[in-house]
Amino acid sequence: MLARIAHELYWLGRNVARAEHSARMLDGIFLAELQGQPDAPAGVMLSWGSLLAIMGSSSPDASRERMLDTLALDPDQPTSVRASVTRAREGARTVRDVISAEMWESINTFHLDFDERTALDVGPYGLASYVKGRSALFWGVASRTMLRDEAFAFLEAGGRYESADMVLRMLRVALPPVREGDEDGSSPLRDGQALALLHAVGGVQAYRRAVPEPPNAVPVARFLLFTRSYPDSVAASVDAVRRALTAADADPRSSEPVLRLSRLSADLEFRGGGVAGAGDDLIEVCEIVERELAAADRDICERYFGGAAAAEHLVAHAP
Amino acid sequence: MAEQVTPPAGFYDELFDLEGAPRPHAAPLAAALEELGPERLLAAGRRRDAIFTQQGITFDAKDEDGMVRDRPFPLDLIPRIMPASEWTQIKRGLAQRIRALNEFVDDVYHGREIVHAGIVPWSLIVSRPHFARAVHGVRPPGGVYTHVAGCDLVRDRDGSWKVLEDNVRVPSGVSYVIENRLAMMRLLPRLFADYRVRPVDHYPQLLLAALRALAPAAEGEACVVVWTPGPLNSAYFEHAFLARQMGVELVEASDLVVRDDVCYMRTTSGLSRVDAIYRRIDDDFIDPLEFRPESLLGVPGIVRAYRAGNVAIANALGTGVADDKAIYHYVPEMIRFYLSEEPILQNVPTYLLRDPEQLEYVLGRLDELVVKPTGESGGTGVFIGPSTPPDELAALADVLRRMPERWIAQELVHLSTVPVVGAQGTLEPRHVDLRPFAVFGETITIVPGGLTRVALGEGEMIVNSSRGGGSKDTWVLEETSDGADSPSGAADAIGHQPPQLPGLALGRWASQQQQQQQQG
Repeated sequence: MLARIAHELYWLGRNVARAEHSARMLDGIFLAELQGQPDAPAGVMLSWGSLLAIMGSSSPDASRERMLDTLALDPDQPTSVRASVTRAREGARTVRDVISAEMWESINTFHLDFDERTALDVGPYGLASYVKGRSALFWGVASRTMLRDEAFAFLEAGGRYESADMVLRMLRVALPPVREGDEDGSSPLRDGQALALLHAVGGVQAYRRAVPEPPNAVPVARFLLFTRSYPDSVAASVDAVRRALTAADADPRSSEPVLRLSRLSADLEFRGGGVAGAGDDLIEVCEIVERELAAADRDICERYFGGAAAAEHLVAHAP
Repeated sequence: MAEQVTPPAGFYDELFDLEGAPRPHAAPLAAALEELGPERLLAAGRRRDAIFTQQGITFDAKDEDGMVRDRPFPLDLIPRIMPASEWTQIKRGLAQRIRALNEFVDDVYHGREIVHAGIVPWSLIVSRPHFARAVHGVRPPGGVYTHVAGCDLVRDRDGSWKVLEDNVRVPSGVSYVIENRLAMMRLLPRLFADYRVRPVDHYPQLLLAALRALAPAAEGEACVVVWTPGPLNSAYFEHAFLARQMGVELVEASDLVVRDDVCYMRTTSGLSRVDAIYRRIDDDFIDPLEFRPESLLGVPGIVRAYRAGNVAIANALGTGVADDKAIYHYVPEMIRFYLSEEPILQNVPTYLLRDPEQLEYVLGRLDELVVKPTGESGGTGVFIGPSTPPDELAALADVLRRMPERWIAQELVHLSTVPVVGAQGTLEPRHVDLRPFAVFGETITIVPGGLTRVALGEGEMIVNSSRGGGSKDTWVLEETSDGADSPSGAADAIGHQPPQLPGLALGRWASQQQQQQQQG
């Protein structure tokens, strides 16, 4: 298939996944930030500052209303939910002949119904419900109507890559370094953010069924990194990208991205099997995984997209 | 909008003072409500009903025509606000009361010291319907019986808090506390802007920790389950909610089996041991071998397993003796007797009708007092003197003379009011009570606030949801370092700087820009 088309499909998947993760995060953090601090350490404390860091953008005025505008609805803010949906729709338009008509319709409606005023009026909860519903519809229609061919593999690879990347970003922010005086890597700050994080990715119930420990920072981070039976964990997503690319590649055994992802997958499996480490190790793991994922993205670009699309990074951080 | 609210004379309104001006802690709320206006409040109400119906947060209510219908849980959109200092007082008072009630249960089934001291008559205790001979001499781990307690509090016309009722069997409503908060944050986030409200969503974790701590020493994690009578129970929503939030199994009687005094549940991989049961079913139905033989909801042999210490049950069996309405009268005495402390929260003055003198006194004042059956809950069988027709009162007097031990009488409490959103979107005062929830594990922890129930009819005093009552989100404000209430906005107080992450890639194909240039 054309490198350009593969690239579009990969990014279609990424943009839809990004829109969903950002919307969930906005809702989760908005809720967390509304309340005061809890009695017990396991409360919820992610803040807007964290959110900006995750989305890789900065805003001089971190008030609630401004932030919601910017991160959810601003079409000129490239990382806003709205902008992700618009880009997904533009991408889908390019590959209309490759994806099923139902998929095109669902993503087009997603874009068209993204009504600014309604979203603001109903608040982040309404926005998140809308985006979750629409992206679930998109993925559901894709899995029912699309041939499991190369095209599907690139779409899937993009969606799962983005999930891994977003969860990892959230973990990086929610796991600040252990401070002096904190026993065994737990502190109210870390633990509070961990629970907010679980809420933001929608994994609270999965966590409670899978892990007996209370949702403190270290077990939550381990859950979101290593638990393969949880579909949004980094390990599950990395493995899904690997599988998708293996299916798409004519010669996966000599494919640099497949090999890299296989190594990363094995590494996550190995680390996940170890005893619960102190928090600092997990931060290190996150950094390693992030580096490897970024490298895999470059490899993917190089091998499948002919390097023609030099992944242009938007660096919006203040210097 | 604020000027439309005139608190009814003779009652304490928690939001507005006698002149109709908002109380200091309520001023930002009143301003925010005014800014929202009736239209938007009504719109939020419609969204609330839609969300609750979608999520299945409903309860059965009788219509005027007597039909039972599933209705969205009636959450009123005006929160009730409690300053930190007020809450601290309530919290201390409740912890003290629950500790005393727990001591009392232990005493009743062991040494009976309070009886020997001549404070509570033994004949009264054994005649209580929830007194359980079957658990005489059984002491659960840590000596805790009342793991989950919910006391009903009311506020009198002078603003003072009083205890109206103790619930130490299976108090329900905590799921609504958590769902109400979530709904309020989603529907009207604007109202939270000027307050720091203490969260309530950690309750399931508290409960789980307390239940795990109860389990007999076992290898690995203790197996905890929630036991429900089944989906037809009116509180089934809550049972499922708690099981889901704690990540434990929700079992019915048919899932449990006792072999050799050990309790198991039937799983796909055979029998699996159960260490602790949070039961949402009354003593009477729990074990047909020990309590009601005809109970189909029970598990034969579970009481033997409990007595053998092989399975923990929360709340413990037999705790119902402590929340009987006739025993309620003695709680202040219990606090003095067991804890050597003065009660922090007062009872509503109560008359025990088994005493002939008190009976005569009550009969003379029936039209002013509230008369309640001792063994009931949920507002059933309660007569409120001033609003009961004389012929019914005469019939009641006959009943009281015949079976005085089944009834108590209480002074009428002039329940405080908090405004609710009326049918036109305006604010109207309605009477409220408060049920805070406590978990008794190693210590007693009380979730900030609790369930505020509100009588939705004008002037009505009965707040039970089965009788058409609604509820309110209850806000306990954070205490600031200087002791004042409610700072606004201090979210990043911890001062943590998140790490810098690389910007998000956007994945533009190089030729796209060229194409855009062509179009331009």
